[in-house]
Amino acid sequence: MKLNKRLCFYAFKKDRVLALYGFLALLFLATPLDAQTPSDALMMPSKNICVLFSYDMGTFDRYWEGSYLRSNETIATVDRNTVLPMAAIGILDDLNFYVSLPYVKTESSEPNGGKFAGARGFQDIGFALKYRAIHSDVGTGKLTALATAGFSTPFTNYLSDYRPYSIGAGAPEFSLRAIGQYELSSQFYFRASVAHLWRGYTEAERDYYYNNGSYYTAWMDVPNAWTYEAILGKWLFDTSLKLELSYTDLTSTSGDDIRAYNAAQPTNKIEFDRIGFSAQYFFKSIKGLGVVAYHNRVVNGRNVPKFSNTGFGLTYQFNVIKKQTETTDEQ
Amino acid sequence: MNNKIYILFIAFGLILLASCEKDTPQYIPYEGYAYSELDEDGGNWVPVLEESGASIEIPAPEATDSQAYQNELNEVKEAMSNITSDQKRAIRYWTNNPAVRWNEIALELIAKYNIIPGPNADGTYTLPNPANPEGPPAFPFAHPPYACRALAYMSVAQFDGLISAWHHKYQYNRAAPFAVDENIEYAYEENDIPSYPSDGAVIARASKNILTAMFPLEAEYLQQMEDEHLESLMLSGGNVASDINAGTVIGDAVSETALTRASNDGMKNAQTPKAVSDSIKQAAYDRFGWAWDNLEIPERPVGLTPLFSQVTMWSIDDVESVRPIAPPGLNSQELLDDVELLKDYAQNMTDEKRRIANFWQDGLGTYTPPGHWNRIANELIVEKKLNPLQTTRTLAYMNMAIMDSGISCWDAKYYYHYPRPIQLIEGFETIAGTPNFPSYTSGHSVFSAAASEVLAYIFPEEAEQMRAWAEEAAISRVYGGIHWSFDATVGTDQGREVAQYTIDRAKADGADQ
Repeated sequence: MKLNKRLCFYAFKKDRVLALYGFLALLFLATPLDAQTPSDALMMPSKNICVLFSYDMGTFDRYWEGSYLRSNETIATVDRNTVLPMAAIGILDDLNFYVSLPYVKTESSEPNGGKFAGARGFQDIGFALKYRAIHSDVGTGKLTALATAGFSTPFTNYLSDYRPYSIGAGAPEFSLRAIGQYELSSQFYFRASVAHLWRGYTEAERDYYYNNGSYYTAWMDVPNAWTYEAILGKWLFDTSLKLELSYTDLTSTSGDDIRAYNAAQPTNKIEFDRIGFSAQYFFKSIKGLGVVAYHNRVVNGRNVPKFSNTGFGLTYQFNVIKKQTETTDEQ
Repeated sequence: MNNKIYILFIAFGLILLASCEKDTPQYIPYEGYAYSELDEDGGNWVPVLEESGASIEIPAPEATDSQAYQNELNEVKEAMSNITSDQKRAIRYWTNNPAVRWNEIALELIAKYNIIPGPNADGTYTLPNPANPEGPPAFPFAHPPYACRALAYMSVAQFDGLISAWHHKYQYNRAAPFAVDENIEYAYEENDIPSYPSDGAVIARASKNILTAMFPLEAEYLQQMEDEHLESLMLSGGNVASDINAGTVIGDAVSETALTRASNDGMKNAQTPKAVSDSIKQAAYDRFGWAWDNLEIPERPVGLTPLFSQVTMWSIDDVESVRPIAPPGLNSQELLDDVELLKDYAQNMTDEKRRIANFWQDGLGTYTPPGHWNRIANELIVEKKLNPLQTTRTLAYMNMAIMDSGISCWDAKYYYHYPRPIQLIEGFETIAGTPNFPSYTSGHSVFSAAASEVLAYIFPEEAEQMRAWAEEAAISRVYGGIHWSFDATVGTDQGREVAQYTIDRAKADGADQ
């Protein structure tokens, strides 16, 4: 029972990570990777699959233009809602595979001065492999070290050059993440991770743009980024409830600022600091089923919305081999 | 096994990323080329603003066998023997057709300054003020009327300057340094065009002067560009110092003429006070029973340049003589049909319509539609290997026609004051930004039709393509949801008609004879 719960966590976590990291960044700035890169310290055993389904409601009514926080009645309040299906598969006990595909819908509140149509569609399909290198008792607690490699790429031809309604950055992304966690016997744990995000180019539908100078091409260079995350967590109620506080930082390594009262574009240098809270609960009565809820908000940033998002999700985990065995038995 | 999978995955990802490196050019990728022709009689062509090719005087040059000239030649050789890699890069950049480079600089500044002022905290708007260019907001707001005017004055000054240069070149017939001294290797394709005065210096000085007047905050940047360009003229082996000095004399003269016209062309009154704007709107309402409203929040009190229509045209005396017919009434079947058409486009947006809407959008923060057509012209000019004189002739007539068409378009916009789709269709949403001026006729349509007609005249073999692009640019605004279809179709006809006046003028300037 306890094992099952923990397994599902991975999936949950994954889901949550997507929501946490991803949405924000994705929204305006291109961070599909983040979203799809599992960054927790949990592993699913071999031959287990966890499916996740979450709904995320994000919103902002101000954004940073460079470092200046402003409102803009042309876009008023922008809502971004995301449905995220995801699957986590235990290939080996120390090697998990993840796949995810968010569906995103954006729109401005009424009234607004711009009368722009929002956007909707499937965003980026993401794949990730997570490998657990260390999992051992150290002192009175348990130390875990992992590495994750992720890749995501646009699933549809959505237009990334349509800020702030674009549903994603429109560029392929490759990420490498290192994760370390230490859990005390009291079931308090601390986790930290660092990742580098290599973002490719996104193709606009115009062949000229300004990025501190003229560019005679439709290709826009989406800046690479570093991201750091620190998480404080605690298991409660016989390991059925998990609470986490998170802090995330993302910093682009290049890029330009949004110009005065002008639209953002994929080439912008983005930075943000975000804090979040999440709770995950695993039902004792229904084997393999869990729920997750979270809230995040950006507290500081550059060329990003002052975004907050709240999400809910369901996870269900099952053992592929075992199920087949049970079926056979019934016959 | 685990490690192998992992390593393979990472390797695959890195290869994928590396293979995606893109070339992102910042200017048209051409270097010097052999001109398709030399136009030895170009000095006899009729300038736009100057009296004639002979009207700007420069001193007679020293003969190539004079000591003074030999000293200048030694100066060239000395400089060339100490050339740095940066200077070599500058020579490759400027090429032997630098009017295209200065046009690109103008486009870059337009894109940099095409930023609409946002509202103040109290809901008011502050307009850019040439008396206080730093702002905020910075001066200028390089919107399409401002952009087309800047491009027209620069191109006209360049063209007039090169007619003068060609006149003196073939009057004095002083050979270029590389032709006089076989030890000097010219950086570009050699030709027989006399080098006194330097046509490159005319272009550099005239362009810098016009752009500095149009973009005063860029004075330092533009001076740096001029300095680099003038230096590269000597280092290329194409000019001695007296060639360059004479060229800058002409550049100063033609830019002064152009800027004198600009200061009195009525542009300073184009952005009216609210009272004038309100009376223009009321007049339209009284006349037609409709008026365009700005729907931004907070509302902009005055539309963009209501009196741009009163700016002096290049080739037409009376702007009302080319005013299009009235748009459909608000209760007409034609308008009702268009409402359904726009709703249908919005509800059934296709990838192709979206691509067209975005490709031609050229909105805030870009080089505007006039800039887009200059870019198209630049690419054609290089492809067809036009010489500098033909290059500036093409750009001058095209930008004169674009500016005239814009003036005519703005006359229609504020005379008819026709509402935009978002004003007449309840709940309508667009994929392009609705601009701050009335709908009829479409600026994109008029600008593009005028530009395409001049390019069709200069490059007859490209006529079909140019006109097709102009029509695509026109319909792009309907796909974007911000124009009625008749804004686009009538605007296209309007642009073609207006351009004809400039084309007729071009046909009589002596170049076609």
